[in-house]
Amino acid sequence: MTDTIHVDQFLAHPPAKVWRMLTEPDRLARWWAASGDIRPEVGHRFTIDMGAWGMQRCTVTEVEEERLLSYTFAEGEMDWTITWRLAAEGAGTRLFLEHGGFDLDDPRHQNAFTNMSRGWPGIMPRLARALDEVPA
Amino acid sequence: MPEDLLFTAMANPVRRRLLELLRDGAQTAGALAAQFELSRPAVSEHLQILRRASLVREEVRGRERHYHLTAEPLAAVSDWLHPFERFWRDRMRTLAKIMDEEDD
Repeated sequence: MTDTIHVDQFLAHPPAKVWRMLTEPDRLARWWAASGDIRPEVGHRFTIDMGAWGMQRCTVTEVEEERLLSYTFAEGEMDWTITWRLAAEGAGTRLFLEHGGFDLDDPRHQNAFTNMSRGWPGIMPRLARALDEVPA
Repeated sequence: MPEDLLFTAMANPVRRRLLELLRDGAQTAGALAAQFELSRPAVSEHLQILRRASLVREEVRGRERHYHLTAEPLAAVSDWLHPFERFWRDRMRTLAKIMDEEDD
């Protein structure tokens, strides 16, 4: 059973500008991670530097200029897929992310999941409180 | 530790399947067990793990135990527990902030 994360965010800027934030190395590094060689071209192979997680190998799988960018992520390790969709909304853009291929039956994914959880100490107390508030 | 209970409860395909089955309404332990190629005691043990994580509620009616999904902790799991979802929400907010700041 694999799982996909869906997250979206409104950005008060036109799709063309958002597209550059996703596809230009220096702009991508400003909000997510460094990639010396990302390029929106199907089949293009590049890396994303995830710091403590190391360099992740990626391959672009789908490109629709200013609308869609999809690539594999952490090839040979996690084999996730990352898909960005841009939809014009008013004067801005709604950016949709799908992070797919999570498989909690796979020990590597379980490890990634629990390691990452340690970085979010605030989550657990909130969850614990929510659980407390539910009638037994 | 509630988080350990919850992680343990969710990181098992039989237990996730049990939660899916209970989405459509309460079922008895026997009816649930009949849907698995596992012994009834094995399924009962999975149900107890879910109960300890507050993901299901047990109701004893006569000789039967009925299990109900408790939806609130499940919503909490999907909204808050998935660390990667949290990660991406934070990154997206950073993106919005950076784009607003450099607007010229």
